[in-house]
Amino acid sequence: MLMGVGFVLVGLRLVHLQIFERGDLTRRAERQQERLMKLESKRGNIFDRAGRELAVSLDVESIFGMPNEVENPRSVARELGRILRQNPADLERRLASDRRFVWLSRKVDPAKANQVRDLDRSAIGLLVESRRFYPKKTLAGTVLGFTNVDNKGIEGVELWYDKMLRGTDGWVLAEKDARGRTVFPGGHGFQYQLPRPGKDVTLTLDEVIQHIAEKELDKGLAESKARGGVCVVMDPGTGEVLALSVRSTMRGRAAFNPNEPKQYRPEEWRNRAVTDLFEPGSIFKAITAAAALEEKVVHPQERIDCSTGSIQVADRVIKDSHRSGVLTFTDVISESSNVGTIKVAQRLGKARYYQYITAFGFGRKTGVDLPGEIPGLVRDHRLWSGVSLGSISIGQEIGVTPIQMAAAYGAIANGGMLMKPYLVSEVGDPNGDEGVKFAPMTVNRAISEETSKTLRRILQKVVETGTGQKAKPAGYTAAGKTGTAQKIDQKTGLYSKEDYVSSFVGFVPAVSPKLVIVVMVDSPVGAVYGGSVAAPIFKSVAESSLTYLQVPPDDLGGRMLLVSQ
Amino acid sequence: MNTRAGNIGSFPLSQSKGGSLRRILIFGLVVIGLMVYVGGKVQIMRLGYQIDELEKQKRDLERMNRSLQIEASSLSAPGRIEEIAVKRLGMVRPAKENVVVVKRKQGGAARNDRRPAAP
Repeated sequence: MLMGVGFVLVGLRLVHLQIFERGDLTRRAERQQERLMKLESKRGNIFDRAGRELAVSLDVESIFGMPNEVENPRSVARELGRILRQNPADLERRLASDRRFVWLSRKVDPAKANQVRDLDRSAIGLLVESRRFYPKKTLAGTVLGFTNVDNKGIEGVELWYDKMLRGTDGWVLAEKDARGRTVFPGGHGFQYQLPRPGKDVTLTLDEVIQHIAEKELDKGLAESKARGGVCVVMDPGTGEVLALSVRSTMRGRAAFNPNEPKQYRPEEWRNRAVTDLFEPGSIFKAITAAAALEEKVVHPQERIDCSTGSIQVADRVIKDSHRSGVLTFTDVISESSNVGTIKVAQRLGKARYYQYITAFGFGRKTGVDLPGEIPGLVRDHRLWSGVSLGSISIGQEIGVTPIQMAAAYGAIANGGMLMKPYLVSEVGDPNGDEGVKFAPMTVNRAISEETSKTLRRILQKVVETGTGQKAKPAGYTAAGKTGTAQKIDQKTGLYSKEDYVSSFVGFVPAVSPKLVIVVMVDSPVGAVYGGSVAAPIFKSVAESSLTYLQVPPDDLGGRMLLVSQ
Repeated sequence: MNTRAGNIGSFPLSQSKGGSLRRILIFGLVVIGLMVYVGGKVQIMRLGYQIDELEKQKRDLERMNRSLQIEASSLSAPGRIEEIAVKRLGMVRPAKENVVVVKRKQGGAARNDRRPAAP
């Protein structure tokens, strides 16, 4: 009788478990027995324009531990600490935890991985993961950016194109045995999704020109003991950025190495060519000249009286660096006269001048494919004070980025079209299918071809006889403009008399420009003029880059051999 | 066939000898069959291990190959090449006076085009 009741009770419980609680128990069993394992997709590579590797993904091993299987955490931690050069106490704490799986060291060197493997500890395992590696080390570091330990883009091209570079992770549904070990069931019903590798990215950057820009900028910064600098090299016809070098010497280290991002501070890896604005100073006079020539308010040979050496603009007196006398407009620009430039700008008026400032792309983002770009600082002309027109015409009261400056001078160089600067020319599958190519993009026409030609001649004179003579590359004609802008003193809020931004922006060769080069030097010590500090850097970058690109010299004097065949 | 059957039937002793022989033969065949089967299985397992080992070697070699490619890429960095060229090999950039640009005369090619063709 008692047994019968017992059987009935057991039977009822069986029915309850098998029928009423079936769903819930099945789910619990699956949760306990199954493990969804992520299969990491391989991040795409980054190449320069000639297909040279700048960022690659390497298979490396990561070391993990299974604390529930470790018999003596202290001795294992001591052994691992010696090999991995990690704190044994920290490793012991992880190995003694109540978790089933703990990472001990991610993405270690192959030599260390082999040593750990040789220990042959059953509770310690190795898993292959992918690690980002930048074979050219510091080259283009601020452009490339970097990734975190999970291969997610954090800065630069790595961040901007992160979705494309990352691909899609896969997964596999594995089973766990009674001791929690992973078992791949295989056979029929084995559920998995293979990872899709990320796409490769090809930059417009040229590794050699990038190296030239970095080397010459470093040299120039060391000579001028400057706080930092930027050098941008761009193809004026297309807007392709061929080199973009950003240096900060504040912590005594010139270059950012993306292989060791933790060693650097944000100000060292931030791409200041797009994220920081600066007052351009006299390099902005080319924009004033472009507007005045296009609107025909001045002729290049018109004589302008600059003999007073200063000009009253509203409540402010703006002076020239030296008294010049009566100058043609060409000489106003080549001698960088503030007085002459302001007089011409006043003929334009606020509204007309503002129209050209925006036509050259100032006050809005260029759209370059790098994170953190700012639009610069251009106030609407209706908000300008009495002194604004004069100040802006000589590059004060306005904030621009080096990349905006490159695009604007590109328009002067290419016949008047403002091109969108860009850094990536192609995103494609590693097997060569489904590639997306990025073509040059015209933003708008800034000035006519005729004005562009006239202005190119004026800017050529700057280099031949004006303030930019140190920018003249051997064998080539060049055109450009020097700039020396006083920085705002953070303490007083007034223009500093010691802290300057020295710059030179120009293009080579002057007649049919192949390269636009922007050089900006932040806070040089001693000589501060753009013509002395930035122009020599421009010259070196131009000479080496044009030779590398095999652009025939166009200014060799007598050393040109003419042949008929 | 009949003759052989008749012969066996007429010798009972031989028949029992033959029966045990047959059993031994069958047993032997089964043992040999099992050995062949097990041997085959062992061979398959051994080959499987070999394939596994070779695949591991292949993966390792591929990984090493990739590492070497990346090392080559690292070693071909323009900064390093320039340093070796300048410091170790003593190479210098050609000076301005050492450069002669050879340029084709304007119209030179056109004149050549007008030359009568050789007979």
